[in-house]
Amino acid sequence: MKILMSVILISVAALAVAQEARHLDVQTTVQKEEVVVNEAGESQKRLVPADVVVPGENVIYTITFTNVSAEPADNIVITNPIAEDLMYVDGSAFGAGMDIQFSVDGGVTFAAADELTMVEDGEVRDAEAGDFTHVRWVMRNDLEVGAQGIARFAAVLE
Amino acid sequence: MGTAVGTIIENTAIVDFVISGTPLVYPSNTTTITVAERVNVTVTLQSAQTPVAPGQESSALLFTVTNTGNGTEAFELSINSVLAGDDFDPDPPTPAIYFDTDSSGDFNAGDQPYVPGVNDPVLLPDDSVDVFLVNDIPGGLLNNNIGRSELTAMSATGTGVPGTVFAGLGDGGVNAVIGSTSGEAADTGEYLVQEVLVDVAKAQTVTDPSGGSEAEPGATLTYTITVNVASAGVATASVIRDAIPTFSTYVPGSIMLNGSSVSDAIDADAGELDTSGTPSVVVRLGDVTMADGTQTIVFQALID
Repeated sequence: MKILMSVILISVAALAVAQEARHLDVQTTVQKEEVVVNEAGESQKRLVPADVVVPGENVIYTITFTNVSAEPADNIVITNPIAEDLMYVDGSAFGAGMDIQFSVDGGVTFAAADELTMVEDGEVRDAEAGDFTHVRWVMRNDLEVGAQGIARFAAVLE
Repeated sequence: MGTAVGTIIENTAIVDFVISGTPLVYPSNTTTITVAERVNVTVTLQSAQTPVAPGQESSALLFTVTNTGNGTEAFELSINSVLAGDDFDPDPPTPAIYFDTDSSGDFNAGDQPYVPGVNDPVLLPDDSVDVFLVNDIPGGLLNNNIGRSELTAMSATGTGVPGTVFAGLGDGGVNAVIGSTSGEAADTGEYLVQEVLVDVAKAQTVTDPSGGSEAEPGATLTYTITVNVASAGVATASVIRDAIPTFSTYVPGSIMLNGSSVSDAIDADAGELDTSGTPSVVVRLGDVTMADGTQTIVFQALID
């Protein structure tokens, strides 16, 4: 019993420390593609910060997370709600060593894209990019001390 | 079309993780993007190819101008009737562009003229306005000649290569960006010259009092006039007028149209004897087409 008590105490202390010391540094950026024509007349695409966007333009969200703690971090799950005026660009979600899942029910449940279905007019159909409300990346392995993970997806402004 | 100008879209990622058996969750920073204005417009011809006669005035073509951007836009309208590739140039009067003010689809006195810079139409996103182009048709044209007239609508914010940015000129002071329509659109309507061909033939028979055909005083002249529409189209408000020969006197009550009697008096029926000048038989055939077949008018006079 004594041991159990002390374990609980340690856990609470760890939680308090985590909120102050930020075990994981998490940064999100939003960018858009810019087409630049070089002197040779060739079109090149590059990513620039997205500040002002018009309907029809794509934006790219990149979530970078770094383990700045002294311990490995595991069971890492990144969840990103897709804004109402944005539509997920099919196939754009990416994360090395991560399984990618989506929600069509506002973040209650998640599954792989090809496992999701919708009910429309009483009929069941496969879920499409326009149905996704959230995108989620589930890291398969630990994030070692000092290591960094990157998750990315694109959406089009409607 | 599209998300409203000025909409602010935020994004925050949530990261769940475990360190040393302790579950933790952090939000990322929140990113913000602002929706700017995308400028787009379409012009769509509504009128079918419009039949006209040479010399006809004020023939109208109907178009719809639609704001397909996501912000409120004013549009400048212009007409061009001097286009290459057609048989004649319609002749626009001044003014030549009108709004379909009474939404009737027909050009009439209730429709207001467009004055550039004074009443440029201001359209909300997805809103549209109906516009007439009005042209006079020149004379001396051949049947089936085609003349074209083009309506152009240009965004007052600006036009240019898609992606061109007009900083701060969008609704609420955000940027305006030219969309795929380059900020302007045009469509072209067509006039088709159609003359209606009408064949009119007149035959005369003479019957003298002894039953022969001598043209002598007292002989009865019977005139038969046949009218045939020999082409497509409508001979509108057709009237046949034939003067009684000066050497003869009209036989009262003798006017017949397609076998039915037509009274001499001016009344509600199809014709009369008009005595206001040289006595003449007048028969109104109305709108006649080829499908109506031969129209036959008969009347008689006595040689004086």
